[in-house]
Amino acid sequence: MSAGLAGKLKHYRISQKEHDRACELLGREPRESLKGLEWALFSALWSEHCSYKSSKIHLRKFAKTMNSTVVNAAGENAGVVDLGQGERIVFKMESHNHPSFIEPYQGAATGVGGILRDIFTMGARPIGSANYLCFGEPQAERMPALVDGVVRGIAGYGNSVGVPTVTGQTNFDPSYNKNILVNAMSLGLLRPGEKVALSAAKGPGNHVVYVGAKTGKDGIHGASMASESFDENSEAKKPNVQIGDPYFEKLLIESCLEVLQKDLVVSIQDMGAAGLTSSSFEMASKGEVGMRLHLDRVPVRDSSIQPEEILLSESQERMLLICEPKKLATLQQHFSRWGLDAVAIGEVIAERRVELWWKGEKLTDIDPHILVEKAPVYERPYSLWKDKNRAATPDELKTEPGNMNAWILSVLADVHGTNRQDVYRQYDQRVGLRTVRGADHDVAVLRLPDSQRGLSMGVGCRTHVMKLDAKLGGYDSVLYPILQMSVKGFSPVAITDCLNFGNPEKPEIMSEFVAAVEAITEVSMATNAPVVSGNVSFYNETLGENIVSTPAIGVIGLRADIKNIPQDMFQKNNSIVFRLAETHVFGKSAFPTFAESQGEKALLFGEINVPALARWAAGLKELSLQSGVLATQMVSRGGLALSLAKMCTAGLGFRSEGKINFFEISQEFFYQAIIEVDEAQVETFQKRAKELQLKVTQIGRVQPGSLKIGEWVDLPVTQIQQQYGSGLRGKIESLA
Amino acid sequence: MSKIGVVRFPGSNCDEDVCNFVRAKGFTAEYLWHLDQFTIADYEGLILPGGFSYGDYLRSGALSARSPVMKSVREFVSRGGPVLGICNGFQILAEAHLLPGALVQNEKRRFIDDWVELEFLGKAKFWAAEHPNRMIRLPIAHGDGRFYADADSLKKIEDQGQVWLKYRGNPNGSLRDIAGVLNEQRNVAGLMPHPERAIFDWMGGVDGWSFL
Repeated sequence: MSAGLAGKLKHYRISQKEHDRACELLGREPRESLKGLEWALFSALWSEHCSYKSSKIHLRKFAKTMNSTVVNAAGENAGVVDLGQGERIVFKMESHNHPSFIEPYQGAATGVGGILRDIFTMGARPIGSANYLCFGEPQAERMPALVDGVVRGIAGYGNSVGVPTVTGQTNFDPSYNKNILVNAMSLGLLRPGEKVALSAAKGPGNHVVYVGAKTGKDGIHGASMASESFDENSEAKKPNVQIGDPYFEKLLIESCLEVLQKDLVVSIQDMGAAGLTSSSFEMASKGEVGMRLHLDRVPVRDSSIQPEEILLSESQERMLLICEPKKLATLQQHFSRWGLDAVAIGEVIAERRVELWWKGEKLTDIDPHILVEKAPVYERPYSLWKDKNRAATPDELKTEPGNMNAWILSVLADVHGTNRQDVYRQYDQRVGLRTVRGADHDVAVLRLPDSQRGLSMGVGCRTHVMKLDAKLGGYDSVLYPILQMSVKGFSPVAITDCLNFGNPEKPEIMSEFVAAVEAITEVSMATNAPVVSGNVSFYNETLGENIVSTPAIGVIGLRADIKNIPQDMFQKNNSIVFRLAETHVFGKSAFPTFAESQGEKALLFGEINVPALARWAAGLKELSLQSGVLATQMVSRGGLALSLAKMCTAGLGFRSEGKINFFEISQEFFYQAIIEVDEAQVETFQKRAKELQLKVTQIGRVQPGSLKIGEWVDLPVTQIQQQYGSGLRGKIESLA
Repeated sequence: MSKIGVVRFPGSNCDEDVCNFVRAKGFTAEYLWHLDQFTIADYEGLILPGGFSYGDYLRSGALSARSPVMKSVREFVSRGGPVLGICNGFQILAEAHLLPGALVQNEKRRFIDDWVELEFLGKAKFWAAEHPNRMIRLPIAHGDGRFYADADSLKKIEDQGQVWLKYRGNPNGSLRDIAGVLNEQRNVAGLMPHPERAIFDWMGGVDGWSFL
């Protein structure tokens, strides 16, 4: 290999094999002209971020999760899920990890903007957003500023565009000290009669129209940046981060939905990673047509900008759409009313080639399939999953009893266990008049305006489980949020994923990835909740250190009505409290359970039984619809005692009845639920549980004043409330 | 059916919510576009909804207060027509000097979404005129909601009974806990909380229902 070629491969992050493949497909070397424009195209579209080259063969497993409610799943940003009664939803979650670590406010803000465009580009109005955030230890370098910046960024963008942020999850773990995770999810609704918009370019002679913000030099090479690990020079990547303008986004949402519903558009796609390049090549490739684009017609912010910069700029708030010539004038009038320019920058051509022109000169001419469909696909080395961190016998999990009172109080005030209101109070949770329950609840609920049914929205993936066993963690990422919805009377409808992993070229990381994808597929099929969209973020690695593998999951659930949804906290004095368990795996306690606080190694025992848990979830859902059910909660990280303490934070306490051993209240069980039932309706509740073949165990009663569990716990409710109420600001000063 | 005009600026985001509220109350809702003027006789009342009009660039509400539609709004006001500004709408009316005082950044310089307790002090013409309760509970969602006025103006506002609503438990550092004010004629009213977000039980409260 010549020194010149080696340098180029390094510069464009293309491997020797990929270079050879490109030459073979083109029938020649990529051209050197125009500062290596063709090289840059391969670099962007064949990047991990755009091509999913390391994950594609594994993601194909999700295809078998589809059911009859899913339409348009193939090739679009997200599958459309039909809820019946004319109502359809589109939703997706996406990562913006690398930019958020470099520049937290803009990184998080543009993450929100990007996922919103993925939704309204399909003709659906975004009605709810969620986020999944992983930060390092609060005392880690820059961490307080990163937490504050990310939250402000999500708020700054999400609040302005008028989409409520209704739920989220915030985790803390040292493995994110140098690589935080910022995953944004958005849910869109198509009301009866509204049309789904697609992205495949069609109709030779139709215009290719550019709409939205002008193109600047920001975010150039963003896609390739996101496909690389971090090193000491990450700070130098600041210019690669895009800058967002939520005001422009709001105008785009309203104007695009308007022209789509007026049938003025043939197809549409947002300009996301790799900007104009990916949108044009992908639209052409999907439609089996070509495009002739005049780059000198693209509206620019900076007249010195060069064609290759126009192609790769990741300037935000831009869309590309195809429009019939006879409708162009009307389309432009609509956009102009919203103060937006819609400029015809080219046309669709019959031959499947994308021609790029600059001031009357043809720069290049490439078959879009070469860059999109024929991008390389790798089966990176991995090994089959074997259970990890397992004890030989359940006895190994037993812990010596200790001071449970002190432990509960400390966890309720630490970053893992405390109230998240310092984060979510910065988000507008109610704009749109659909929010029934916002981020201060276990499960967010939106009301569908036409059928008046309830939609639940939740995210999952618990770092502490992933750390112990990536396959169990993968199951848990989907099962836990589904179970949280089940105990509120919701059935899962569909799921999305955002798979955050380290370097896929390392077999141990790839093995965790494959195990997690298989686990997600299994739960998805067992619960009849198809994986309708997704995103993969690899190379979450800094200086050779990888994050804990984090397959974040978004779940949407449905309920026939929004009446009498069980509350999260204890509601009524003297009501009866039941414990339900379907336990296949026991944890000696992943932090912050009691065992680890005693300095013992976290361990697990047992194997998950997905079909049994799926049946249990369906049963819990039915039982939760029963009248007399006042409050429900899934037992969370930390075990039964800690969950009971959290249920006391609304002001009522609890006392256990009968003998209760230390093991039961301190250990982690996958899974158990707590249900509070009105005393007057206990009999019908128990009868219903029996019909549903659910075993319920009465463990105590609601009482005023204090939490008393056997001889182990005795705490005044006011003290519990005070600790829990100290919030994240108690540990992270930047949130105060 | 009588018509309420909902003034729509680029960046308004509670416009649709306000229309839904107006319709739920049995009125016809009609958008009034920021670039256009309108026939004032056609409307029984006007509402300026919340949002981030013109991106809230410069200052919240500053650019909107100078938009073409405001010429008609002023005329409507001068003829005694009732106008309500909610959140960003309140900021616009203050910037347009149709209401006294100013709304500046929250004391803690953060956006706040929460439910607040409020007390009616004054009475507006038309808006919440028949509200059954003196103490109410409504949601807030704003970054620039801290009411400010210099000492003389503040005295005048209080002396003339132009304080419409006060917070119980001040969320944002507003002077004298002021959450809403009236003009001298009582036909223009503005408040930071969102009545349209508390009109049905499932929203968590219904104290917004009687604002219209």
